[in-house]
Amino acid sequence: MSDQLPAFIIIAPLLGAFLTPVIGWRYRHLCRPWALMILAVPLYAAGGALLQVIESGPFGYNLGGWAPPWGIEYRIDHLSGLMLVLIAAIGLLAAISAKPGITMDIRGKEANFYTLLLLQITGLLGIVITGDLFNIFVFLEISSLSGYGLIAHGEDGAPMATFNYIIIGTIGASFYLLGVGYLYMATGSLNIADLATILPNLYHSKVILVGFAFFTTGVAIKMGLFPLHTWMPDAYTTAPNPVSALIAPLMTKVAAYLMIRIMFTLFQPDFAISVVPVATILGWMSVVAIIVGGIKALAQTDIKRMVTYIMIAEVGYIVMGISVMNRPGLTGAILHIVNDACMIFCLFLIIGAISYKGHGREIYHFQNLNKKMPWTMAAFVITALSMCGIPPACGFFSKWYLILGTIAAKQWVFAITLLASSLINAILFFRIIEKAYLAPLDSGAHSHDHDHEEEIIARDEAPASLLIPILITTAIIIILGPFSGKIIDLVIQHAVPATF
Amino acid sequence: MLEYILAKYNFWIYVILMMIGLYAMMGKRNLVKKLIGMNIFQTSIILFFVSIGVKAGDATVPILKGDGHGHGEHLIQVADYLNPLPHVLMLTAIVVSIATTGVALATLILIYKRYNTLEEDEIMAIRKDASSYKTQR
Amino acid sequence: MIKNWFKLISLIAVTMTGALLIYGTHDMPAWGDPNSPANSHVSPRYILEATQKTATPNIVSAVLADYRSYDTLGESAVIFTASISCLFLLRRIRGRKEGEGKI
Repeated sequence: MSDQLPAFIIIAPLLGAFLTPVIGWRYRHLCRPWALMILAVPLYAAGGALLQVIESGPFGYNLGGWAPPWGIEYRIDHLSGLMLVLIAAIGLLAAISAKPGITMDIRGKEANFYTLLLLQITGLLGIVITGDLFNIFVFLEISSLSGYGLIAHGEDGAPMATFNYIIIGTIGASFYLLGVGYLYMATGSLNIADLATILPNLYHSKVILVGFAFFTTGVAIKMGLFPLHTWMPDAYTTAPNPVSALIAPLMTKVAAYLMIRIMFTLFQPDFAISVVPVATILGWMSVVAIIVGGIKALAQTDIKRMVTYIMIAEVGYIVMGISVMNRPGLTGAILHIVNDACMIFCLFLIIGAISYKGHGREIYHFQNLNKKMPWTMAAFVITALSMCGIPPACGFFSKWYLILGTIAAKQWVFAITLLASSLINAILFFRIIEKAYLAPLDSGAHSHDHDHEEEIIARDEAPASLLIPILITTAIIIILGPFSGKIIDLVIQHAVPATF
Repeated sequence: MLEYILAKYNFWIYVILMMIGLYAMMGKRNLVKKLIGMNIFQTSIILFFVSIGVKAGDATVPILKGDGHGHGEHLIQVADYLNPLPHVLMLTAIVVSIATTGVALATLILIYKRYNTLEEDEIMAIRKDASSYKTQR
Repeated sequence: MIKNWFKLISLIAVTMTGALLIYGTHDMPAWGDPNSPANSHVSPRYILEATQKTATPNIVSAVLADYRSYDTLGESAVIFTASISCLFLLRRIRGRKEGEGKI
């Protein structure tokens, strides 16, 4: 049983997805418990896999019993174990929280929705777990296609945003496939571990250079790195709320994982430093991404769109951590993948809760929202503090390591950009918090001293199926902070290449 | 020089096809044309992969002669058969490309229902009107 | 004006991609070389072993459905995803008036 544990991570959600339409055919209300039950399996299995990696180091699993370069293998090391747990946990929480959003936007199509949700999570898990380059492409397409379907069902303008996403996303995936082709042409292998042993002798081949260029571009498109981000704000703003809560935090992070995989496992780290100056180029692209993302976010009044622009800046953080090419930088990048996924997920859940209660997404709609939705707004404040990098929450720690990394690399512009970006985040969130907590009551005539008079605004909290995931995620955000040292000790320091 | 160009003519054709597809995807303003560009782009990648697996000489399709149970087979020579792996990969890639086209066409149906046009410029104009109407309200 | 600007950018991007591809072509193994890495590292074993291990004379089928069958599982999942996506987008729900649902 425990030998076969890695297989369950993919097989359970995949078979679950195949069976969901069958169940939904007659018993539509059973789809949700079914999906939740199915999603608990990969979380359990991924947790088991991560524990096994922590105890006894990376391990592989040969599918169908074929030895790796000929067959396909799962390769679970510290980084992929961490990502598996992250994806499975956020997937489960997103499925729990999807119910109110479905009754709002997707009523009557629960079976299809949960099928696509399971397939999305299968695809993301499949990208992370596999040790085969072409297999990554297949699962990338599963997650992209289910994402296209889910996003296109959003508000007015979503199909158009989705079409742009399909075109740009296909360019990204095809570039990735071209990269696989170039590497295959020069080496004859598709297995990552096998390629990593063959490639160092071929670093000066132009075929490898071009393959690397296509890999990086393709992954950067999927990630939404600055000049290639154009599909992102529209797609994630117009998507239905439960969908953007699921896809927005995970898709970019999995693409970031792929970038780390390509630059540090597939290629040696010095390839991106000395052979081609990719690290420098990526570093400056991330500076622009952070600045442009921040400024664009400041210009938005729609909070959902604002968060998508913040995401562009956060992708810049991760790429910056990768590009400085040293231990604290990469540690910060990996830690930020985890933290940022939780924070963005929580923000989208909160937006979903606010829209569900019939409030608009413009900033002025937040007026006095703390009276109506105190728990949601408390979660919002904590997440916002974490986004700005206030110590007890987790956002501070990853930023701390990122700044240490930039200082160790003597990239002062990068360090200043990071600090400035925290300031921009502070402005962004405090203008909302100020609106929610400090703005005077609409009527203005009441004195604020008497408690019973404040009760005039009726409390109208989000439903439990949304509120509980919000509170759990908020708790995770707070807990991750003090425990980040432990996570680094147990997991992340082994994920950073030993040469650093 | 001419020999050099001819020796890799498959790759030149693939580069040209890919540039056509990529230009259509980014530069064209009609959504169906973009989709057709996407198909050309994916086809060029298939051509590229299949070209990797070619073996010059008298190599043939990778189906072994004989009945497959060890009878009537002579010694299998690797050089006699094409490389099967790129073909396998491209079978999967063809399916992926069809699936992507299908979903894209479904979104095109939704777009046409909503805007009654598939010209990107006209859709942008309609969307601009709609958003200015929204802010006036 | 804006239209031309847009086309210019895509033309530049396409030219850059094409230049990169042509640059990469120079180091490629000759077309049809039986000893190129792609034809000599992993694939010979498929040709030599496929009949004994999978009892299939068609090597492409043997690799597709046996050695790399996990890819094929993913492939069928891709088709399934696409069909469910189309269904999700295009299905009309009974009892819901036209125009009530957000397209």
